[in-house]
Amino acid sequence: MFANFLIGLREGLEAALVVGILVAYLRRTDRQHLLRSLWAGVAAAVGVSLLFGAILTYGPRGLSFKAQETIGGVLSLLAVGVVTWMVFWMAKTARFMKAELEDRMDAAVAVGTFSVFLLAALAVGREGLETALFLWAAAQATGSSTSPLLGAVIGLALAVAIGWALTQTAVRFSLATFFRRSGVLLVIIAAGVLSYGIHDLQEAGILPGLNSIAFDLSSTIRPGTWLATLLKGTFNFSPVTTTLEVFAWLSYIVPTMVLFLRCSKLPSNTSRTVNRQAANA
Amino acid sequence: MRRNGRTVALVGTVALAAAVMAGCSSKSDSTEGATIIDVVSTDDSCTVSQTTAPGGKVAFAVRNAGTKVTEFYLYGADGKTIIGEVENIGPGVSRTMTATPDAGTYITACKPGETGDGIRAEFSVG
Repeated sequence: MFANFLIGLREGLEAALVVGILVAYLRRTDRQHLLRSLWAGVAAAVGVSLLFGAILTYGPRGLSFKAQETIGGVLSLLAVGVVTWMVFWMAKTARFMKAELEDRMDAAVAVGTFSVFLLAALAVGREGLETALFLWAAAQATGSSTSPLLGAVIGLALAVAIGWALTQTAVRFSLATFFRRSGVLLVIIAAGVLSYGIHDLQEAGILPGLNSIAFDLSSTIRPGTWLATLLKGTFNFSPVTTTLEVFAWLSYIVPTMVLFLRCSKLPSNTSRTVNRQAANA
Repeated sequence: MRRNGRTVALVGTVALAAAVMAGCSSKSDSTEGATIIDVVSTDDSCTVSQTTAPGGKVAFAVRNAGTKVTEFYLYGADGKTIIGEVENIGPGVSRTMTATPDAGTYITACKPGETGDGIRAEFSVG
């Protein structure tokens, strides 16, 4: 039961963190009306994943390995795109807030219901199919033992609880701290998702270099332990990482992080100018 | 506005579902008519019910009878190229991996503990 619990936690954690940050963001910027689109996105991803997983599990057709890895890889790359967009959208909001232009902010950083829907759907749906297949397999085992399904569900529930706790904590930070910390966290998460997507596409044979290993820490960070689960679940850290994954991870995280830290910081002279303009307006 | 949001959500869901289904039907393998091979993976063994299969579809029904999470792989003769793989087989769980390998020699591997080269054996098709 414990091993299945760890799988559930690992599969659910990253999505719960992204959704948790998004919920906190919408609340803190008074956009509660978009929460409806957010939950619709989550529900759509869960629904489609469970349905598709059930068809593959109980129906006569299975999904080829290559097709499953390709779906996982492509959805991961799309998720990196929308999470990165979310990070800079948040940075832009932070700039407006710091410049005390809240009244103008709405027009400048207006965001559509569909964007929020898509963001939530991809954050959850990215690994949704694999999680659904795992859950249905655990459900099938229920004839002989209920512990696999119970473990998996408790693991997912803990992931959701951690996401919820993050939202609650985020509400307590000052706005500037909230934007900066959640942005940094999202950039690190997105870099991990990119690396994961690259690995899926390498396994599918679409990208080369599956056996060109950059490092193997599996004897130190042993899969099946709490540490490996949390690192994998949060940052998609894999103890065995290919050279291409490391390359993609670094190529993404370095420029994105630098750009984010610059964007979220308002230069002091610009700040004064903007404030003066605001006062004149 | 509210209705608009709902419509958008609905369209998005249908589009996502359609995309996923399209991916399914074009590349899926039917387990009907497949040679079904039972695999039992424990923490230190990997029992494959048969080591040969006629050409065509093969379905490996992998049951984890151990205490660690296991994975099952079908590799090419080089022992590196992945022909098929199924991960996240928790203790007490069974998952099926389908593949349509060409005639030739392959290698099966169970990976209890999700690490290492796994417990390997030869497998031939055709």
